[in-house]
Amino acid sequence: MSTTSPTLSNATHSSNSNPGGSSMNSSVNRSFFDNPKQVLESLHGITSDDFDLLAQETGKVGLSRPSLSYWKDAWRRLKKNRQAIFSLYIVVGLVLFTLVGPSIWTTPPSLQTLGRVSEAPSLSIKTVRVLAELPAWQPTLAEGVPARPTAPVPAQDLKAPSQLKLMTEASTLAVRLSWDAVPGATGYRVYRGNYAPMQGSLGLPIATLDGGNIVSIQDTFNLVPGSQHYGVVALRDDEESPNFASLEVILPEAMSLPEALKIDPKAQAGQSLEMPLRPLGSDYLGRDLLARLMSGARVSLFIGFVAPFLSILIGILVGGISGYFGGKTDAWIMRFTDFVLALPFLLFMILFKVAFGAGPGEDGIGPMLLAMVALSWTGPARLTRGQVLQLRESEFVQASRLLGAKPMYLIIRHLLPNTLGVILVSLTFAIPSAIFTEAFLSFIGMGVVPPTPSWGSMCNDGIQTFLTHPHEFIFPALLISITVLAFNLLGDGLRDALDPKMRSVS
Amino acid sequence: MRSASAKSARLTRAAGLALALFPALIFASLTGCTKNSDPANTVRFALTTEPPNLNSMQATDQSSFFVLGHVMEGLTRNGPDGAPVPGVAEKWEMNDAGATFYLRKNAKWSDGKPVTANDFIFAWRNVLDPKTASEYAFILYPVKNAEAINKGKLPVSDLGVAAVDDYTLKVTFEKPCGYFMALTSFATYFPVREDFFRQKGDKYAAEAADMLYNGAFKLTSWVHGASLTFDKNADYWNSSAVKLDRISIPYITPDNTARFNFFKEKKTDILDLAKDDLPRAQSENFRLMNHADGSVWFMEFNFREGKPTRNKNLRKAIQLIFDTEEYVNKVVGIPGTKPGKTLIPSWVRGVQDNFRREFPYAPPARNLVEAKKLVELAKKELGGSIPPLVWLTGDTPASAREAEYFQSQFKEHLGLELRIDKQIFKQRLALMSSGQFDIVSAGWGPDFADPMTFAELMTSWNENNRGKWTNDQYDALIRKAQSTSDQKIRMAAMADAEKIALDELAVLPTNERSVIWTHHERLQGVGRSIIGMDPDFTYASIVEGK
Repeated sequence: MSTTSPTLSNATHSSNSNPGGSSMNSSVNRSFFDNPKQVLESLHGITSDDFDLLAQETGKVGLSRPSLSYWKDAWRRLKKNRQAIFSLYIVVGLVLFTLVGPSIWTTPPSLQTLGRVSEAPSLSIKTVRVLAELPAWQPTLAEGVPARPTAPVPAQDLKAPSQLKLMTEASTLAVRLSWDAVPGATGYRVYRGNYAPMQGSLGLPIATLDGGNIVSIQDTFNLVPGSQHYGVVALRDDEESPNFASLEVILPEAMSLPEALKIDPKAQAGQSLEMPLRPLGSDYLGRDLLARLMSGARVSLFIGFVAPFLSILIGILVGGISGYFGGKTDAWIMRFTDFVLALPFLLFMILFKVAFGAGPGEDGIGPMLLAMVALSWTGPARLTRGQVLQLRESEFVQASRLLGAKPMYLIIRHLLPNTLGVILVSLTFAIPSAIFTEAFLSFIGMGVVPPTPSWGSMCNDGIQTFLTHPHEFIFPALLISITVLAFNLLGDGLRDALDPKMRSVS
Repeated sequence: MRSASAKSARLTRAAGLALALFPALIFASLTGCTKNSDPANTVRFALTTEPPNLNSMQATDQSSFFVLGHVMEGLTRNGPDGAPVPGVAEKWEMNDAGATFYLRKNAKWSDGKPVTANDFIFAWRNVLDPKTASEYAFILYPVKNAEAINKGKLPVSDLGVAAVDDYTLKVTFEKPCGYFMALTSFATYFPVREDFFRQKGDKYAAEAADMLYNGAFKLTSWVHGASLTFDKNADYWNSSAVKLDRISIPYITPDNTARFNFFKEKKTDILDLAKDDLPRAQSENFRLMNHADGSVWFMEFNFREGKPTRNKNLRKAIQLIFDTEEYVNKVVGIPGTKPGKTLIPSWVRGVQDNFRREFPYAPPARNLVEAKKLVELAKKELGGSIPPLVWLTGDTPASAREAEYFQSQFKEHLGLELRIDKQIFKQRLALMSSGQFDIVSAGWGPDFADPMTFAELMTSWNENNRGKWTNDQYDALIRKAQSTSDQKIRMAAMADAEKIALDELAVLPTNERSVIWTHHERLQGVGRSIIGMDPDFTYASIVEGK
């Protein structure tokens, strides 16, 4: 490749093209200067009067409408694009959601309320009863009943326990049940089901009591408000009787006094307490999903804006230098760009994390940002170089140079503003891709670390329980999708507005 | 390469279920095979993880023990009540000096040759050979000279075992060992035939064809990472009692949802359920059962030089903020899980009765005020501040939930930062061995039916003591318990030793695990055992039409 840039030689060619045409022009010129009047008259019937100065006219020269700058024109065009404007609103809304949201919705994102795990989204305010702590649990032993009856009774013949009843008021804090001993039983098994019991399927085995005289149980496992069906069967040497007793218990949502004091320091037992609203539900540790989405958006948008911005800054610098100076510099820089472009992102990301000594459980956001910037400046750099190469040979730049403009002036006054449109478009397309990359890396566990949420890591947490509590996955996934789509549509609109040459056919 | 992989595969057995969930794997596992050429009496089951090592002399994990327990047999087997029942040995005699085993003459290898006393001697010597680097060598230490051989002080030929003839194995004890019979069903005690082992060399147990089997089944196909098939072993001495023709493992996946769906679509016959699948299982009308698997889970603190967790006040403060009830009910959330209070769990048998009833231990009650004082004290002792603690754990949803729960508890009550280091199983074990953690969430499942399997865990010589806690008094008490067959002295010594470990907070027990499981009606007689392979399909059967 020659050391002069291809565009430069092209430009020279075009001005000197068609040598035949230029020689003909020069012959016409010569006869014109010999006898101009005659020539003109013979050509068009133009007389010499036509060359007299006219009187100055007023009012005719002037602008018929206000002058339209490049940016104003772009904005005008963008406003016509409804998709893009709608997307712009979404983006603005998202930024508000992230920055202003947490000061309106003040629930801390990492506050765990284990009594409200995986709660579905709801806009109604929940009230729970505050209950004093129950006295310590002591299983009741039936009097005069042996733990291991000696008389052999086959399991089939064991009766269903009678008098299955609640010992105290049931709530989501605890359920205490008692029943009458079954003669011949060596133990009992207690089930809890979400559905009315059927033979062979009583629900979850809550406990197996070893001893025919133990006739009560306390259940505290993951109690959720609503209807629960308890089933008790007698056992003979670990074999279940086919007869069971069952009891439907409606569990009201309750809270223990110490827990209630954390929310309201004036709480008293027996009182009803309004629970903080969970409009988007809660996650697997009872954390408010809305607060987590806001907090997660901060990470996503931080990466989404900072990474493309930095990489474009570097890209402009590198591409600008490369394009402006051309020649050997350009060749070397572009080969280096090709090299960086060939690096595999994921591998590089992992290496970066190792190289930066991000220890176990330490945030991967810093290394992630660096890796993204270090690998994604190549696109903008190539774009800028192409633009600069084209622009610096354009007539107005040539003219400016001819008038003695310094390189710095040329770059700032002519080159940069004219590349800005293209760069802005590439920026809007880089943002969704960065957000997506962050979500992906956090999803596979290489981004944020708990307790910091990000949309990607929330998706990862939520996907585990997708079939049982879909809201934990759907909301962060929806936000990622909307954000990425909005930025893409906005980018599309901006490209149409700023760079009409690349306008999409629609 | 073999020894390297064995090293990183070292693990607590109970921890065997904790595994990697990498998104790519979900798809890999879903594209698994659909074979339909299985014989009628086939039980199908999905493993959570590929067995890392099927060499019985080096295997250390639950998945490998599950396979080995079905395809190999030791001198004894675990009976239904945990007591040993005859295996390769027809009968035996035992006293304080040693034991004599009389092997049955119809016990055969899968190539038709008889199983002899020399096969046991070869395997045991090989386990103890320092070159084998077996993680489980310590389980053979009751045999005379075993420890010295394992430390390279004596040649392997000095091991206290002798073949009186092909069918009589005489074992001499180092010290009286009351629980020796319970050990002989353990995988490390399984026989290996020397000529076959030498012929295979490094490839031994690498593929299905590189092993000899003397168990109820033999491994006929092993597609690494994808599937395993065991067929009934016609050469097994008790094969007439084995009703299954095949155990098929068509899927190996750590993904709970995938395993749930395989079961629902009747592609597998038996399923262990995760917490989040319980509501779904109820709506599917599955018959749910509870199996307390005998394992104890705890926070293990790191006692290596320079670790903040060496500070007792810090450990004590952590203990005082731990809300056992809330943790078991809301965070673990599997019914049947017991709050962890002790190192030796509640199901173990003591002298006459339950060990815990004979030797109760109650940890101090939760006390947030005292905890705050202690953590301030710890800060002073550690030079003003406590750096963020590294919590090493697995990468399952359950371990993430646990870690984030403790992270918030530590922050709220102690003002301490907790950094969560989630690792895939193999990597976690490697980090545990190299001590790169402050606190690790670990578990231990019993290897044999004696409190010793838990008590010796914290001895200074145990490879599985990952925190490297050492206490001379503790070691001495365990030595004492290991050198007598008097149950009263043994149990009391172990209880005393355990009390030291718990008072010193070498570990902080969190829970005793329980599993909710279900099976299709066609599968009958599957054993869920605390010791040995779990589940046990040896005497299971398929009843069609149910």
